[in-house]
Amino acid sequence: MNNVLHLAYLVPLFPLLGFLINGLGRKSMSKSLIGIVGSGAILASFIVSVWIFMQVKGGNTFTAEYFNFISADKLTIPFAFKIDQLSSLFLLIITGVGFLIHVYSTSYMHEEKREHFGRYFAYLNLFVFSMLLLVMGGNYVIMFIGWEGVGLCSYLLIGFWFKKPEYNKAANKAFIMNRIGDLAFLIAVFWLIWKTGSVSYDTILPAVKEGTSGLNNTDILVITLLLFVGATGKSAQIPLYTWLPDAMAGPTPVSALIHAATMVTAGIYMIVRSNVLYSLSPVTLNVIAIVGLATALLAATIALKQNDIKKVLAYSTVSQLGYMFLALGTGSYIAAVFHVMTHAFFKALLFLGSGSVIHAMGGEQDIRKMGGLAKYMKITNITFLIGCLAIAGIPGLSGFFSKDEILAGAFMKSPILYGIGLFTALLTAFYMFRLYATTFKGSFRGTHEQEHHLHESPAAITFPLIVLAILSIVGGYVGVPEFIMHGAHSLNDFLAPVIVSVDHGAAHAAGHLSHSEEWMLTGISTALIVIVVVFAWTRFSKKPDTAEPTGFGKILANKWYVDEFYDAAVVRPLNKLGDFLDNMLEKPVIDGLVNGVGKLVNYSSRQLRLLQSGQVGSYVLLMVISMLLIFALQFFLRK
Amino acid sequence: MNALILSAVLGVIMMFSGILLKQKSAVRGVAITGLAALLLVNILELRGIHFFKIDVAGMMYFDRFALLFISIALFATLVYFILSAKDMEKVGADYAEYFALIFFIICGIILVASFKSLLILFLGIEIISIPLYILTGADKRNLKGNEGSLKYFLMGAFSTGLMLMGIALIYGAAGTFDVEKMKFAIETPAVLPVTGMLLLLFSMSFKVSAAPFHFWTPDVYDGAPTVFTSFMATVVKAAVFIGFIRLFDETFGTFQVKWQMWLAVIAAVTLFIGNITAVFQQSVKRMLAYSSIAQAGFMLLAVYAMNTSAKEGILLYAAAYSLATIGIFSVLNKLNDYTFEGFNGLAKQQPVVAGALTIFLLSLAGIPLTAGFLAKFFMLKSVIDTGTGLWLVIFAVLMAAVSVYYYFRVIQAMYFKEGKADITVTGRFKWALVTIAALIIILGTFPNILINWLYF
Repeated sequence: MNNVLHLAYLVPLFPLLGFLINGLGRKSMSKSLIGIVGSGAILASFIVSVWIFMQVKGGNTFTAEYFNFISADKLTIPFAFKIDQLSSLFLLIITGVGFLIHVYSTSYMHEEKREHFGRYFAYLNLFVFSMLLLVMGGNYVIMFIGWEGVGLCSYLLIGFWFKKPEYNKAANKAFIMNRIGDLAFLIAVFWLIWKTGSVSYDTILPAVKEGTSGLNNTDILVITLLLFVGATGKSAQIPLYTWLPDAMAGPTPVSALIHAATMVTAGIYMIVRSNVLYSLSPVTLNVIAIVGLATALLAATIALKQNDIKKVLAYSTVSQLGYMFLALGTGSYIAAVFHVMTHAFFKALLFLGSGSVIHAMGGEQDIRKMGGLAKYMKITNITFLIGCLAIAGIPGLSGFFSKDEILAGAFMKSPILYGIGLFTALLTAFYMFRLYATTFKGSFRGTHEQEHHLHESPAAITFPLIVLAILSIVGGYVGVPEFIMHGAHSLNDFLAPVIVSVDHGAAHAAGHLSHSEEWMLTGISTALIVIVVVFAWTRFSKKPDTAEPTGFGKILANKWYVDEFYDAAVVRPLNKLGDFLDNMLEKPVIDGLVNGVGKLVNYSSRQLRLLQSGQVGSYVLLMVISMLLIFALQFFLRK
Repeated sequence: MNALILSAVLGVIMMFSGILLKQKSAVRGVAITGLAALLLVNILELRGIHFFKIDVAGMMYFDRFALLFISIALFATLVYFILSAKDMEKVGADYAEYFALIFFIICGIILVASFKSLLILFLGIEIISIPLYILTGADKRNLKGNEGSLKYFLMGAFSTGLMLMGIALIYGAAGTFDVEKMKFAIETPAVLPVTGMLLLLFSMSFKVSAAPFHFWTPDVYDGAPTVFTSFMATVVKAAVFIGFIRLFDETFGTFQVKWQMWLAVIAAVTLFIGNITAVFQQSVKRMLAYSSIAQAGFMLLAVYAMNTSAKEGILLYAAAYSLATIGIFSVLNKLNDYTFEGFNGLAKQQPVVAGALTIFLLSLAGIPLTAGFLAKFFMLKSVIDTGTGLWLVIFAVLMAAVSVYYYFRVIQAMYFKEGKADITVTGRFKWALVTIAALIIILGTFPNILINWLYF
């Protein structure tokens, strides 16, 4: 407890205090005070996180145990925070991006009533608190608390405007989908407890590494698969991805923070945290790679035909998460973390930019009714363009480096994975620039009323945009690949201690692929992407895609009818089963049984009461009879 | 020994205070101060400080179990005085005498808790009973009270006869009253001591209102002035239980096989009759009478099991049950209408009182986090520890489930029914109620703060 990192508890403490203050004082505090408390709490966490990061960078890692959270028989689960390279990096992302989004929200949400404004910031702070718990937890149980906490906050914030029934439906959908994944997560944790008697990373992971954990290959396979199912829920992968696009019902800053930058990367964090386990299960890794790639491709195709600015970004998020899982599946854990980081920057930027657009358009989200916004919103235009370039993977911006690393890792595994991955990247470039050109280029297609009101957003909105744009550009330079500049991949060196089996990782990608091969791959992909970007830009600035889609385009616009399929295959049969059980089992059998017991008790009570006649004579008689009976049984029958 | 002598002296002091003190509040002050002093000297004795060294010829023995129970009983009585002493004024003119009688009852309780000779047990039971007959009929103009008093006396005399007969037979078999010196053959005791034992079983069952010897209970509890029912149903009943346990542990412990079966039967019948009959009652006072029978059924499990967790548990049970029931009765005293409807809408009028009352009722029903839950848990655990009588455990749990019905009816009336349950209470009364409620929660969370006194 002498380690200075014992103070790490301060990081989640500030948002928790912010949540309590804003939550309890939402009716009495002024909006500016609420904003200051909410943003200030995250800023304070960010400052502590930076300090922690410096400590970790200096080589100081620590597991701080505060108290025994659960203690039952041989199982002891401490309330512990693990501060190492991985968690300190995530702390920076969460509190840094989180702070910017809080600042943004003070302006974006300003039209809400005071009470709801306070509620919003309370939820947002609670979310950051839970997310910090998730990444700081020293064992799977603390992680699970955070895991559930972020799920709850996501639910609360998606349904923030709870007066609209469809928003509540979206919130329910998100929560229920997540619960399916959470169940798998829980089973995995219990499995770990059953087999190893512990949930702490510090106990399990080194033991697994040395083969002394008591887990055989089947255990590891089952646990990793179950954890992965948990990750598919939280990180929106096939088959549990459909909640994320619907989650766009929440306020736009929420989409940026929760449904793009942080919460949805929880699954990736969890798998990287458990990379020791995953590296021992090649089957699971293959499953992850395939699921990730399929999700990336599926979501990218859907994004081609979406016309809601936030929906495009939502599917793009699903697609990019799929990319990260592809990286995990090919063993490039660091590349996945790298992409989490760069994605957090440019996707938050894009969402906040879209929020700025929606704000200017007076709530309009349909890109067919926008167009030519570049004239009116200079900062938003430029920052949004930077975000698009970054996500498309144009060299020099952050997305290029992380995407390239993932593709290189995929190529090593199999050229097929690389081919599909590259195709997905091209689709990404296409739909992002379709989005950009339709929104910002060409001529304005909205009403005169809207055109009159078009204006650049205030500083509280543009400031985070500028900061994130800068980060989207420079964020990639912590991971300059080996073949471009030797020893410039500082993220690799930083994260190396927490990634157990570097042999599988992209860190040694250079060892497998020669530099010339890498140059070639990068050259091909870059050339193709640039072509697609130019094509999409020119095509959609001149003639925006406003016609009703037909044929294959209609299938894409309807998201491959996956929601309809789920409804027919799962929801309706379940409802039918529920109706059946309600009518055939619950009402006649169970209710009858329960009410019958009650009636029986009442009836016996009425009869037994009559014993109490009020006559002393009868009382004594009954007593004497009982005594005689006992005497008789004692002496004549029990011998 | 400290408390025994002081309580007798206090009884006499209270009799004189009625003549010397004109103010009723002064009498009450003397009684409460006296009781607090009594509790203090008893706790001092528990910590090893004796004021009197009297040779009792081995007829009494104050061990930790006895002293701890006496402390609990005294504490419960103190709570009872604080909450309800003022309501005794309503009963009749002889205010000081009621206190005097209660102090004499305490004297009997101390004897029953610490006897080592059957004579002392008999003496203690009678010293408890006779003042109770008087208190039951204390409201002389009330016919119901008089009827109850007479019934109680008649049947009490009957039970006293049984007890004396039993003691006589035991004396005949053992040649001594001293429980330490009795030596009965373990496997096949003669007819004489077994008959004596059964007679004592009947009379003790009568005193703790176990079925089928419980018939006096509803009539007496219902007829007696409510303030005194409160005392009778709690402290007195718990005390007789301690005597019951001691008697069957120390005197008849050697041939447990002969009586354990009968206790199981009596416990089951008591649980059944108490709980089931309580369901149909319309008066809360009468419901509480049956509830006290039902709770006695649970405490009988401790006599059945007769092991460490039984003895620890019965102390916790005595505390939990007494505190909760005294609390409920203290509120009942203030109501004009004793039916369930009388509680309608109490939560709106007196949220604090209703809240505390809810905790008391939850504790009686045995809902977790309250002392009542752990008390019941200890009882059931003690039976399971014996390795026999699993059916009894299951049956007891089912009956506890039935009890939820009638306890929750009160909660339902307070919170979910519209009505005008109008009572006036002082701030001090509320504080006392809240303190007891807190105590019940604390005991339900950390029972060891009570039980550890047995050992440290």
